[in-house]
Amino acid sequence: MKNLFREFLKGIIKENPTFVLALGLCPTLAVSVSLINGLGMGIAATFVLLGSNIIIALIKNTIPERVRIPCYIVVIATFVTITELIMKAYSPALNRSLGIYVPLIVVNCIVLGRAEAYASKNTAVNSFFDGLGMGVGFTLALLLISGIREFLGTGKLFNHILFKGFEPAFVFGMPSGALLIIGLLLGSFNLLKNKKT
Amino acid sequence: MKEMVRYGLTLALICVSASASLAVVNSLTKSKIIEQAKIEEEASLKEVLKDAQKFEEIKLGDEVLFYKAFDKDNKFIGAAFKASGKGYSSVVETMVGMRKDGVITAIKVLSQNETPGLGARIVEPSFTGQFSDKNIEGLSDVQAITGATISSRAVIESIKKKAREIKKLLASESVSQ
Repeated sequence: MKNLFREFLKGIIKENPTFVLALGLCPTLAVSVSLINGLGMGIAATFVLLGSNIIIALIKNTIPERVRIPCYIVVIATFVTITELIMKAYSPALNRSLGIYVPLIVVNCIVLGRAEAYASKNTAVNSFFDGLGMGVGFTLALLLISGIREFLGTGKLFNHILFKGFEPAFVFGMPSGALLIIGLLLGSFNLLKNKKT
Repeated sequence: MKEMVRYGLTLALICVSASASLAVVNSLTKSKIIEQAKIEEEASLKEVLKDAQKFEEIKLGDEVLFYKAFDKDNKFIGAAFKASGKGYSSVVETMVGMRKDGVITAIKVLSQNETPGLGARIVEPSFTGQFSDKNIEGLSDVQAITGATISSRAVIESIKKKAREIKKLLASESVSQ
């Protein structure tokens, strides 16, 4: 049990996909303009990670080594399409604002990365917790970045104006601002890690 | 050779089960997705033409060209239509309500993915409100948003173009009747 908890926890800080592994930065840059987008993207990616990690861990012994990548991609693409259909049915507004980045979860390197690095070598239960941890870590990272960007770029959080008289700096709403924020956060993560050791 | 067959079969098996599960999910969500689109469409129609009670789709083939709006006495009062134009980073789609004399009642941005804080402000009432009670030929008075000229222009131009088309259609229709 303790072991499983550790599998879960490592995705959040020690091996955070965004800040430590630096994976999946493309969707991170693109969707982190507002908290609601960040949250939606995080949940969608977590769902895909969980599904693909479990299935791949279950069928890992039947997949021939040389065609494993196409097999993984088919599994991942299936879960992404399921996620997209569910989003369209129950939250069309969110689906529209995430746009092309929902189908692009297929090529999100966090998902394929975990399939290749973890799920193909571990049991389904362990892979479930690994996927959950990575998904939560990705979601938290997205929330942190999009929270900072939404506040500095538009003066709002979750589309609500926090206080009057704040003059937003538009640059944070744009890709250049996203790069700045992610760079600074990556740097501070490294600083914290180096201090510990 | 034997190996190749095994690879192919495994991959085929995975693909078959993937498509099977997708077919199931699709059949479960299909009606819901269509229903959601319909609800959204109706809500936005009501929003741009508040006086209208009934809308009638005018179709060309499978595509809905515009909606004819009727008030509670079943009198024809105007039309609602969708306009879309290329903005700065996305296609901006708007729903427009127009009275039969060519005056816009209201507009609503249906979808956009412009820069937050700049272009995305085209959804705010301070911008969309400017369209209300303006003739379609007088849209050049609409103030573009500072720093978001491209997004603002996309909305104005797409509405102007589509509105002219619809007005022509309406005119030719009333002649033929």
